[in-house]
Amino acid sequence: MSRPFPYTYISCPCADTPVPDPARKRRSRESPQKSPQKPPPERANTDQDKKLSAKEEEQGEDEDEEQTFDPRSPRSNFSLYPPEQLLYCEECHQIKCPRCITEEIVSWYCPSCLFETPSSMVRSDGNRCGRNCFNCPVCTAPLAVSTIENATGNAPQQGPWVLSCGYCLWTTLDIGIKFDKPTNIRSQLQKMTDSTPPAALDRSRQASRTFEDLKHPLSSYASIDEQSNARERDGEQAAPKEDQGAPPMGMDARFAALKNFYRTQISETSNSPNDHLSSEFGFSSPGALNRLMSLYASSSRLSGLYGGSKKPKSKPPVMREALTASEGLQVASENSETDMIARLQSPECGWDGMASIDQRATQSPDARFIDDLLPLPVLLRTKRAKRCKSCKHILVKPESKPQSTRFRIRLIALSYIPLPTLRPLAPSSSSALPAMAPTSDLNSLPPLRPIHILLTLKNHMFDPVRITLATPPVTPGRVATKVTVLSPQFEIGANSDVWDEALQGASAPLTSDSRSAALRGVPEAGKVWDKGRNWTTVVLEVVPGTLPGSSAEGGDGNPNTETNDEDVLAVAASRQDEDVLEIPVFVHMDWDADAQLDQQNVGKGSKPDDKVTRELAYWMVLGVGRIQPSL
Amino acid sequence: MATLKPPTNTHRSSSASHSSGPPKAPLKADPTATIADTVVFQGRYLVTIGAGTVVHPRAKFYAYEGPIFVDDGCIICEKAVIGAPPTSSRSPSPSRPPSTSPTESGASTPEPRKEISTRISYFVTVGPLATVEPGAHVHSSATIEALATIRRGADIGAHSKVCSRCEIAAGGSVAEWVVVYGQGPGMRRKRARGVKEMSPAVVAAAQVAQSPLPGPAPAGKVIEDARLMVLQKEREVLGRMLIPAAGGRKK
Repeated sequence: MSRPFPYTYISCPCADTPVPDPARKRRSRESPQKSPQKPPPERANTDQDKKLSAKEEEQGEDEDEEQTFDPRSPRSNFSLYPPEQLLYCEECHQIKCPRCITEEIVSWYCPSCLFETPSSMVRSDGNRCGRNCFNCPVCTAPLAVSTIENATGNAPQQGPWVLSCGYCLWTTLDIGIKFDKPTNIRSQLQKMTDSTPPAALDRSRQASRTFEDLKHPLSSYASIDEQSNARERDGEQAAPKEDQGAPPMGMDARFAALKNFYRTQISETSNSPNDHLSSEFGFSSPGALNRLMSLYASSSRLSGLYGGSKKPKSKPPVMREALTASEGLQVASENSETDMIARLQSPECGWDGMASIDQRATQSPDARFIDDLLPLPVLLRTKRAKRCKSCKHILVKPESKPQSTRFRIRLIALSYIPLPTLRPLAPSSSSALPAMAPTSDLNSLPPLRPIHILLTLKNHMFDPVRITLATPPVTPGRVATKVTVLSPQFEIGANSDVWDEALQGASAPLTSDSRSAALRGVPEAGKVWDKGRNWTTVVLEVVPGTLPGSSAEGGDGNPNTETNDEDVLAVAASRQDEDVLEIPVFVHMDWDADAQLDQQNVGKGSKPDDKVTRELAYWMVLGVGRIQPSL
Repeated sequence: MATLKPPTNTHRSSSASHSSGPPKAPLKADPTATIADTVVFQGRYLVTIGAGTVVHPRAKFYAYEGPIFVDDGCIICEKAVIGAPPTSSRSPSPSRPPSTSPTESGASTPEPRKEISTRISYFVTVGPLATVEPGAHVHSSATIEALATIRRGADIGAHSKVCSRCEIAAGGSVAEWVVVYGQGPGMRRKRARGVKEMSPAVVAAAQVAQSPLPGPAPAGKVIEDARLMVLQKEREVLGRMLIPAAGGRKK
């Protein structure tokens, strides 16, 4: 895990849907020492009798609930989240992770000018700002619209205008472009670079129409081929003349011409009466399908197999490729590569004059040099609402105005579940036991030496919460760390007004008691360590296990490392971050909520004063530290 | 620095009355220069500040290895470091008397070293926390942005710019009208100085549309002229702001 120690993650229950394997569980129950990966969970692991009784009770329950959460499982990578990233659905009464929600776009806006773009305009604008917001094509810094004449003092605010980058000092003068107006720069630039000829589309349509005459339904396939071949032969002579006469089309224009040409071709070939498949199955490229079918049909062997007895139908029309420049065909010139290499080698261009891959990624494919780069309109951003996937309840809804950072609805999980924080208990000088390990450095925890960890849970609800913590006595995985929660059941106060605590004198002794308890410095079983208005701290006693193959591992009984050879193998097979000490903790919380908030509550019982008991349970992972390889 | 005195035509020693601490470099500042109170001048060699130059508070001039020349119209921003502080192995003697020719007094110098002069030419801007090491030569109208580092002996061409967090290696050079951007060694881009050819996309579009090309754009030098004008105005305003704020003295 990438977070610094200590950290806490919460598991979203949405990932807890594997098919349970009873045989595997049985094996783990029968021989827990041989396979410590799946120890049964213990609700109260302070007492051995309680352990046994809890085990007996839980055996009768559903087996899914018995499965201990394994933070090292590959599935855990998809279910563990920092608490602040989780949401909470009030309908489902469940924690919701980013996988449990769907997103809806509320509005599109430009992050530079904060203008909202209507959804109907987003696609036509190419998801980019249609006003004056541009990014530098060289360094991606925002460009500013500035006038040249104003700077020289000749005529204030009269232009011409340029886009200039304040970081790398790139301006549109670097590509020989100036603007007449300071507004609608995008449209001015588009007008300058719009390479669609006015009659290009008409020409393309005309060309298709002439070819359409050739592909009359009554004409045979061979005749089409012959005619097209004849046309190609003629075209070899005619095309250079036409290409010389017609100016080369730009990238957008060629794309539009090609798109139009192929759309016409598809419509012509797919609308033929022989084509049943396109209408029935909705193939996107019926021309290609027709070609394949005609290939199969022309084969004598296959025709014998598939209805060879039928009479051969008239050959379907075949989609052809673009042939002329007006249809979007561009023949690469012979000298283009040579010219490009010569320009690259010239001293005024060189390496610095070449556009990098990042720069070319958002530009026209023809752009190879810095001088070919055009300013980039700023990409739009979106504000998104989030819904629960199961009940479609809105979990997050921001205000649609781009200027506002407020949310109309925001059900973050930390408003409902207690915030866990973790810190090591520094042993005081008077009460420190000699066997206790100093816990100053969590990145090197000595194995087999107990440490005390303080787990604080802070309640953000306005109702007091009863908490039950449960951990497996030994952490899953090859590194068996013993964990004991000294006070697994406790209560956290309500998140009442801060002044209530000050105004009520009753809370003062509690604080003083807790302070004195903290000053005692001796964690006791069954007692909370510290308690405040809406938080409670309990102590976890942790005995870090030994790493496989480490020198500290002797009579530990780990079956993986019994001989030296096995040690070597174990070290070689040690997985990455296996020394990270992560403790799975099962949190069960219940509280009395107002029934009027939700009539169809899922609580177990109802109270006479319109209170219902509501409960929530989830797994939490505490990242304590990293275990030393040796003592 | 509290010991700054009104400028004189001769070199001034500010360390004459002190017997401890690092040596204070002799300073020769133009009367029109604006130097804040808390600027640090250390070393044994001469520091020259040109006319109209503005030096912000807490800038540091370390003239231990050679003289430092800052020409006219420059802006040295806060915490910029010109020169290099003395290393521990070659700490200067604190009580050394000032001299314009420090190599003459070989008794206090552990080993005779060649003077390495640092020169910052006209209208240069050195940003906050930027470092210009000894031997570097920053030519006129160049810009060294915040946190940029110019190593020893580097040569920064005129009208060039070293962007923030970029580093020019020792002995390296940046050509004229070149921008070094990015991080570390960074990438380089040649700025437009004259009239540039129109973008191929615009030319192609005009050919296709059979419309006349847009009018030629002015030379890129216009932008640089405008920037220098703004810089001049900034210096004027800074000169007015620094003195009452820092309690310094206008030379």
